[in-house]
Amino acid sequence: MSKYRVARMTLSGRVALVLFTAALVGICAMPWWASQGLIRDVVTLACYIAVAQMWNMLAGYGGVVSVGQQAFVGVAAYAMFVLAQTFGVNPFLAVFLSLLAPAILAVPIYGLLHRLEGAYFAIGTWVVAEALRLVATNMPMLNGGAGMSLRVMTQFSAHERAVASSLLAAALLLVTLGGSYLLLRSRYGIALTAMRDNPVAAASQGVDVGRLRLLIFIATAVGTGFAGAVYFMAQLRITPPSAFDANWANLAIFIVMVGGIGSLEGVIIGAVIYFFADRWFGEYGASYLIVLGLLTLVCALYFRGGIWGLWSKWVEAPWFPTRRRLIRLDGDKA
Amino acid sequence: MTPLLSTHGLIAGYGDMRALHGIDLTVNSGETVALIGANGAGKSTLLRAIMGLLPVAPEMIRLDGQPVGGRAPHRMVREGLAIVPEGRRLFTGMSVEENLRVASEHAAKPVAEPWTLERVFALFPILREKARTPVENLSGGQQQMVSIGRGLLAQPRILLCDEISLGLAPKVVREIYAALPEITANGTALVLVEQDVGLAQRASHRLYCLLEGRVTLHGTSGEISRDAISAAYFGASHALD
Amino acid sequence: MHWIDGIVQGVLLGGLYAQYALGMALMFGVMKIVNVTHGDLVVLLALIGISLANVAGLGPWAVLATLVPIGAALGWLLQRALLNRVVGNDPLPSLIATFGLSIALQNAMLVIWSADTRSLSGGGIQQASISLGPIFVGVLPLIVLICATLLTGGLDLTMRRTRFGRSLRAASADVEAAAMVGVNPRNVYAAATAIAVGILGFAATFQAMRSTVAPADGPFQLIFAFEAVIIGGLGSIWGAFAGAMILGISQAIGFRISPGFGILAGHLVFLAVLAIRPQGIFQRRA
Repeated sequence: MSKYRVARMTLSGRVALVLFTAALVGICAMPWWASQGLIRDVVTLACYIAVAQMWNMLAGYGGVVSVGQQAFVGVAAYAMFVLAQTFGVNPFLAVFLSLLAPAILAVPIYGLLHRLEGAYFAIGTWVVAEALRLVATNMPMLNGGAGMSLRVMTQFSAHERAVASSLLAAALLLVTLGGSYLLLRSRYGIALTAMRDNPVAAASQGVDVGRLRLLIFIATAVGTGFAGAVYFMAQLRITPPSAFDANWANLAIFIVMVGGIGSLEGVIIGAVIYFFADRWFGEYGASYLIVLGLLTLVCALYFRGGIWGLWSKWVEAPWFPTRRRLIRLDGDKA
Repeated sequence: MTPLLSTHGLIAGYGDMRALHGIDLTVNSGETVALIGANGAGKSTLLRAIMGLLPVAPEMIRLDGQPVGGRAPHRMVREGLAIVPEGRRLFTGMSVEENLRVASEHAAKPVAEPWTLERVFALFPILREKARTPVENLSGGQQQMVSIGRGLLAQPRILLCDEISLGLAPKVVREIYAALPEITANGTALVLVEQDVGLAQRASHRLYCLLEGRVTLHGTSGEISRDAISAAYFGASHALD
Repeated sequence: MHWIDGIVQGVLLGGLYAQYALGMALMFGVMKIVNVTHGDLVVLLALIGISLANVAGLGPWAVLATLVPIGAALGWLLQRALLNRVVGNDPLPSLIATFGLSIALQNAMLVIWSADTRSLSGGGIQQASISLGPIFVGVLPLIVLICATLLTGGLDLTMRRTRFGRSLRAASADVEAAAMVGVNPRNVYAAATAIAVGILGFAATFQAMRSTVAPADGPFQLIFAFEAVIIGGLGSIWGAFAGAMILGISQAIGFRISPGFGILAGHLVFLAVLAIRPQGIFQRRA
């Protein structure tokens, strides 16, 4: 009788884990080695990765397609501004307290919209984001359409702000990427992967699809809101059109579809591509966005797995291995 | 003589799972052929493959000797095939008459004596009374009649019937089977998938027995013994029971 | 009188929204897909129409007569080239594909027509109004409403009484079963999208005459169409019409409460309908 062990770690996974940890440490230490500009870039990239990864969990694993994730970006960012600027809460603490707002809001939003079928759910999220933008525009407490400035940040030195930004960027990546990875490796991960592959079959195997979708909707709302709070803390200014900018959904969808839906690796690849494309070609404005739109279209039509999917066909070396493999322990080759 | 319909080493399945492993079958004009076999033997898959609902190679299915395998279902209808599908598959939200008219409006070139709404109503008089009723409000037997009528109005040369007796009361089954000779009278061939072996044997000229995606027996229905059928039905290892 | 006037103006606005919503209801009813470029196509057609009017000197009615067939052709092409590949049980591919196309289309329009807002001259009809008792009603909005009613009635009759309508409804109920009786689903789908976008030819002309269009407006039209369809109830042609009226009235009354509240009032009514009556005000008929 052979003995077996379930293994998930691979060599590539170990290497990636070391690199990921090193990157997080490097990001935390940025105030002591990086320029202001680089810190700002890394914070932005971390926000892109976080928002995209949250959309990836939602659409790629939860099977819930949203085009209104900017709702949570804006709500958390505004909550942070109000806590810090209006009520004088320490801004660093306010970032974390503000995450309650998307968490609380996600419940009724999902409750209302889950009654809509697939594609209609997605458009419904867009309506919600639009409604929230209009609410923010009409709310005197948020200074209406003129927006708010985070003037309280001036009480901190430039170095202190850099430390805060760097730690928050690292925490954001740890929570969204690391959290997703741990979730996918947990027993919920099996349920999520089963649900991604076939919701009906998963339901028949005892997975409570509805409840799992609600939980993942809330979790991704919090992660997306976290990115929003971090991003706008670095911006120091917020207005309803920037907070509830549909471009948050655009970039999440582009990153995930081009990078590869249903994989963490794809999100990192896609985010890096988007970040540099935006840097290098952003000046071309409309023509650049035409290409982004068409790339998303082509990936949806012909390359459902995106770049990572194509790459994985050639090389089996996952950075974030989540699959379980059976390993025979007694070394019997027969 | 070239048979009306023939399959040649037909292989088909769902995704990676192969359900048919090389089926050879012939159907002649005006003939009733029964397909029997246990659940999962591949009977429905065979009908679906013939109808163009599963991908198959062109040479695997011939009509009048011409390769037609793999064509889309609506093109198979134009070639003179029609199906009464498993589970009836009526168009909910539409009345009996509308269900029938969709078929007659997209039918193949009419045969010598084309099927009309009138003829279908004559075959199943209850449908005339229910013409304006939404199909979801009909009984199971009435729904099956609509499904058969819909198949007929496609003006088929071959009508494939998938378990038309399933879930119906014996009286209704007799009523439906009594209508079959009328269908074959003007040369339309019938392929019947049937759970009830005795019924299949009585209603058909020839029968094929399928087991695990292969033909294990075929011959003239009246000449095949019960023992031969049960051997073919359950596989050789069970034949001794 | 203020409020009655609000309701009347809302109904007239609803006439325009109904023209957005009909095509979306049709496409979702038949294929269960949402075309995210729906609103962008309104804008594209409107901009084409305005250019035609400027370059070829076409009057508004000639523009209308040109845009409807152009819309139908665009719809047919969209379905054949793109949507037929993504119709299926999974909503993700069709949504993402049209989402990407929407971004590309909006920016392509920006390159061609710039971000300026434009409108179509109606040759004086924009200013004409008639009085119904104490309330003044614009002639153009009235024409839009009548047109929307005729389009809705015509589409409903087509669905119920014609061979094509029956094949659409059959494909909508069970597309595989429809194929089994000889219906070619790809043709039916292409025709449905051609009709849906053809109707947007009306919407585009009237939108450009009643107010203005700019390349980035599409998402708003998409959202209004969507809200009308959901408020009215999925899959029902007259439901979409009624939903458009309710949306128009909500916005018009909201606007009278506070100018910043108009659009938001529409969103809130939409959310309220989802909360109270998720199947829509007018259920799908059996």
